[in-house]
Amino acid sequence: MIDNGLLVQMLLGALLGLSVYLPLAAGQLSLATPAFYAVGGTLAALLSTRWSALGATASGGFPVPSLLLELVLGGLLAGLLALLVGRLVLRLQGIYLAIATIALVEIVRVAILNLPFTGGAVGIFAIPQPFATAAGYLLPALALLALAGWLCQRLEGMPLGRAMAAIRDDELAARCMGIDTTRVKLTAFVLSAVLAGSTGALAAHFLNTWNARQGSFDASITTLAFVILGGSRTWLGPVVGGLLLTALPELLRPVGDVRLVLFGLVILLGPVLAPQGLITPGLLERLGRWGERRGGSPAEEVKP
Amino acid sequence: MSQPLLEVMDLSRRFGGLLALDRVNFAVQPGEIFGLIGPNGAGKTTLFNLISGVTPPSSGAVLWRGGAITGQAPHRLNRLGLARTFQNLRLFEGLSVLDNLLVALQRRPRSSVIGGVLNSANHQHAERQRLDTAWQLLEELGLSALAERQAGTLAYGDRRRLEMARALATRPELLLLDEPAAGLNPAEKDQLCELIGALRQRHQLTVMIIEHHVPLLMRLCDRLAVLDFGVRIALGTPAEVRRDPQVIEAYLGTGGSAS
Repeated sequence: MIDNGLLVQMLLGALLGLSVYLPLAAGQLSLATPAFYAVGGTLAALLSTRWSALGATASGGFPVPSLLLELVLGGLLAGLLALLVGRLVLRLQGIYLAIATIALVEIVRVAILNLPFTGGAVGIFAIPQPFATAAGYLLPALALLALAGWLCQRLEGMPLGRAMAAIRDDELAARCMGIDTTRVKLTAFVLSAVLAGSTGALAAHFLNTWNARQGSFDASITTLAFVILGGSRTWLGPVVGGLLLTALPELLRPVGDVRLVLFGLVILLGPVLAPQGLITPGLLERLGRWGERRGGSPAEEVKP
Repeated sequence: MSQPLLEVMDLSRRFGGLLALDRVNFAVQPGEIFGLIGPNGAGKTTLFNLISGVTPPSSGAVLWRGGAITGQAPHRLNRLGLARTFQNLRLFEGLSVLDNLLVALQRRPRSSVIGGVLNSANHQHAERQRLDTAWQLLEELGLSALAERQAGTLAYGDRRRLEMARALATRPELLLLDEPAAGLNPAEKDQLCELIGALRQRHQLTVMIIEHHVPLLMRLCDRLAVLDFGVRIALGTPAEVRRDPQVIEAYLGTGGSAS
């Protein structure tokens, strides 16, 4: 039921979930992820179809090193945009920031739709393929996810990650403790954009075509749902949320039209039944202890 | 007299039609414990907010070792050597007690983001130093047993001490304490009094303290300023302030001075 293509999509979903998670870990509700995803994807689509130096072949092939270069460039361009926009929008708090970032998504979408070189409503076609099959995309998607997850894990033991957590709890107190909160929030926002930009570059090749609809307001809500369902207290939450919610509509295909209703129910019931999300620090702790018991340190097995 | 650590010059703050602080003047000398008293709404917390950069003043100046720091951002003032606690307690409630301190210790010592991501030797060394300092502070304020607890689950007195520990972790020269004894019982108040004295010695602190409990302040402070309706009505040693007719009037009302 889960083929390689769906697996790649799930991994891309998990990556976008992490992109929403990063600003949220610093208490900033940003819905701008699809804008940065669109920027990265559009850049990759343009470069690979227009710039022959990257080595696209007549038969639609594409060298893997060029793909990696595009991942870097897509991330950089998205990050640069975030750096510029973030200075302005991060002055806003809570729901106002959410609205401003939705506006950014719309601006980027309309820009891509109307720019003379992005193919208008039809978009860009026949994006060359670095891999012959969907399975080929598994490795780069997995590697990107591993890299992002590792970065999030490292953050927890670093001043930057702790500053983010402090801002989420109490921004004013954090400022009074010497934390340059503007800078920390901007860093989280830029990291989120870099991740979404690189993900977009990979997705453009995987999807083979790219247009303005890739980064829309709908995607803002969907990616936010990844984090709400999975949980925003640890980075594993949005990963699990992204994997599950991307797979669900496909897995529900056999039940026909009811699947959208079921999908909606999951999004509705998730926060009701698990307000903190599926993956919480408490759950991870319990799993850890359970694992230890099963692994069986002898000292513990002696105990009744 | 040596150069004051902190000077407040003609400091005013207006909230709409309310003049919360009206041209307040005083200077805090290095090493002293300087008390701030006054009835509710006298402008004490507003004054702390102005000094710590949380609210900008409407007019007037704040000097740090003679240089103007008026209107600087709170994190800059903290890095300069000024730390505060809050009247209503603002801990990072979702974080552990230890993490609350590690947040405040993030510039002691400084370490690079790249080093942190790659877990470099420098980063590990810095983290060990931070942990050592954090444990020392926890020990000092009697919180070591609670290190792994979530800050939001602590008892009231422990929270108050954690807030002080967190402020101390930023290695301040001037510590602003906003009603540290509020909600404590008499025995705890005595302990707090001793603690503040001891902390001043060990950390070479200058302390500014807002407190409603007048006996505690009289015992603890080298000098006091009294605020009433935003105006500084008295300044001096506890003995001087106690005799001041304006202070007696503000606290007891006219005619209450007969004794």
